[in-house]
Amino acid sequence: MAKEKPSINTVNFTAAQLMEFDACTRCGECVKYCPTYDARDKNQDIEPRDKIQKWKDFMNKSYGLKARLFGPEKIPPEEIKKFTDDLYNCTTCGMCGTVCPAGINTIELWESTRANLVKHGTGPYGKQSLFPKLIEEGHNPYLKQQKDRLAWMTPDIKIAEKSDIAYFIGCTAGYNQQVLGVSTARILNKLNVPFMALGEEEWCCGSALIRTGQQHINDTPKKAAIHNVEALKARGAKRVIFACAGCFRAAKIDWPRAYGKALPFEAIHMSQFLAEQLEAGKIKWEKSLDKTVTYHDPCHLGRHVGVFEEPRKVIKSMPGIKLVEMKRNRKEQRCCGAGGGVKAGIPDLALGVAKARMNDAKETGAEAVISTCPFCRRNLLDGRDDLKMDMRMDDLVVLTAHLMGLSTDVKPPAPGAPKESISDLFRTQTIPPKLAEPPKEAPKAEKK
Amino acid sequence: MATEGLTIFGKTVFDTLFIDYRIMVIAAIISIILFIVGMYIQLEKWGRGIPEGATKPYGAWGALKMIISKIFEKGIGHALEVLILDVAFQRRTYRRRKLEWFMHILIFWGWIGLLILTIVAAAAEFAGPFLFNQDHTYFVGVWKSLELPNNIFGYMLVLGIIIAIARRLFSTGKDVQARNADIDWILILGLLIVVVTGFYAQALRGDVARNLIEAYPPGLFNNLTVMFHEVFTLLFCVAYLPFSKYFHMITAPLTILVNHGGE
Repeated sequence: MAKEKPSINTVNFTAAQLMEFDACTRCGECVKYCPTYDARDKNQDIEPRDKIQKWKDFMNKSYGLKARLFGPEKIPPEEIKKFTDDLYNCTTCGMCGTVCPAGINTIELWESTRANLVKHGTGPYGKQSLFPKLIEEGHNPYLKQQKDRLAWMTPDIKIAEKSDIAYFIGCTAGYNQQVLGVSTARILNKLNVPFMALGEEEWCCGSALIRTGQQHINDTPKKAAIHNVEALKARGAKRVIFACAGCFRAAKIDWPRAYGKALPFEAIHMSQFLAEQLEAGKIKWEKSLDKTVTYHDPCHLGRHVGVFEEPRKVIKSMPGIKLVEMKRNRKEQRCCGAGGGVKAGIPDLALGVAKARMNDAKETGAEAVISTCPFCRRNLLDGRDDLKMDMRMDDLVVLTAHLMGLSTDVKPPAPGAPKESISDLFRTQTIPPKLAEPPKEAPKAEKK
Repeated sequence: MATEGLTIFGKTVFDTLFIDYRIMVIAAIISIILFIVGMYIQLEKWGRGIPEGATKPYGAWGALKMIISKIFEKGIGHALEVLILDVAFQRRTYRRRKLEWFMHILIFWGWIGLLILTIVAAAAEFAGPFLFNQDHTYFVGVWKSLELPNNIFGYMLVLGIIIAIARRLFSTGKDVQARNADIDWILILGLLIVVVTGFYAQALRGDVARNLIEAYPPGLFNNLTVMFHEVFTLLFCVAYLPFSKYFHMITAPLTILVNHGGE
């Protein structure tokens, strides 16, 4: 009789990653910090420890001693599906890896496991499955047009055709959070830093696909990374500024892998650039703001890449601003809840985590939360609104632009435009209510 | 009258520790074979990995090669630093969990210390007749000199086990009360059996050290508890290791090394 085939396979894993499943001591340190485990009422199925144990069990049932002696043990498909769903209840924030005594690189491990399960046919989760088609065909996940990449530009903003400094805007800032685009561009203009942007040539950074384990589908993130790198290189970029933590993480870690070598330019986050300019004495504060603020470290900027101090340095230098820290900050911050495809795939989970983070902020007594990632900004705004909390939430570039005496106003927002398109901290603009849709005609009764 | 023992290549290995060397050698060989087979099965399992872009698995030796090359990716100096600070002194655990670190250091170093001393004693027992042409008194001398460190490592292990048991009995934290945590009890109680029988064996052997070895007649089972201790220890701590949670003694340090300290 032919031996049964294993119910799982080992594609997308390195040997070291398969070893990592055996390295978990189940000490439970990760459980104490996991944001989604907390938001899911401490559901043990989504503990990082439990997920590692589960895959280890799958591996042993398929390839362990007993499997070698008597053949692989069948794993019911519903068990694999359940595991897949639990695995996607994770923002890939990496907190579990940060605290793991065995030093397991959980971010890469979750991404590889997700990719394996996508190939297996059980992943991804919900709407995440739309990402490959959207990004492959439209080069952004928001069903927007490439020609509108710079639609947020106002007449006062100057963008050079060619420059050795580039601003990689990203899909979220470019299409949905215009206030970040205008603030960043105006700051650069004011600092006399000529910069260029790819505009229609800019493609999605690919982060959403990589985080959800779908990078292999048409090789879209690889193609996007190579396209972006070549386009930036062709326009003479030596330094590329990213104001989006997600794009920055992709450029720092994922793009060189896709490109197969070091990038031909330096990738720098806007907060690092601002800190650098501050150090050089180029930033002149023209306004003061008497506010106590707290800083939320985006996972993609902090834990994933290691930028913790520069944003704080900029905030601390702002006149009138008092920075207070949340209990969980820097390497140990709590995720906002949006990453890893969770915002698109499991919005209620994203909201639950965002609420927990906004409560962390409230504990400090701060009046506003500042962050450096449009995705965190959007999700924390959602959390704040759901809690009906009296707290402002904005990006560091918006606060910086304001205190440099610059306007943070965007083009007059369209009716029903997303709330995150304008500044939440300064509220100099309002979004007109969505126009009422004309009532649909009642279907005529069919004639019998 | 000298004690009789196993004769190998015309040399006698003495039954100085209330154990029968014929049984010990067989148990040791079986344990080591099982350990090697277990390690190979695990390595072969890891070698099934096919990373993105690759078309075929690494294979067992490919996996070993990959792991070794990853360990030294940042240079020997960095690997040594990680080995000392993160593996030997478990810096990552120390940073967050002081009690657990203390418990773990006691168990880890107690275990490792006793393992090293056991290897030294076994080596001396064989080196005496085979390399130095000495009788059993050579080994007794070595063994006596190891008594103090043996005691220290043994007490470290006992204290570590007591803390581990107390944590599992009295801590209600979600981290300690894991799902399927029963397996931990097998390991903790198994180690407890090793140390309790080990202390008993040592007490008897202390007697040997104080008196002439000739006073004790040799036999197939000089002492059943001592024999149980030795065989159980070999099977539990060596043969069972690649198939149990204790496998993390190998995989966790390797993972820390592969991930360059996890930073």
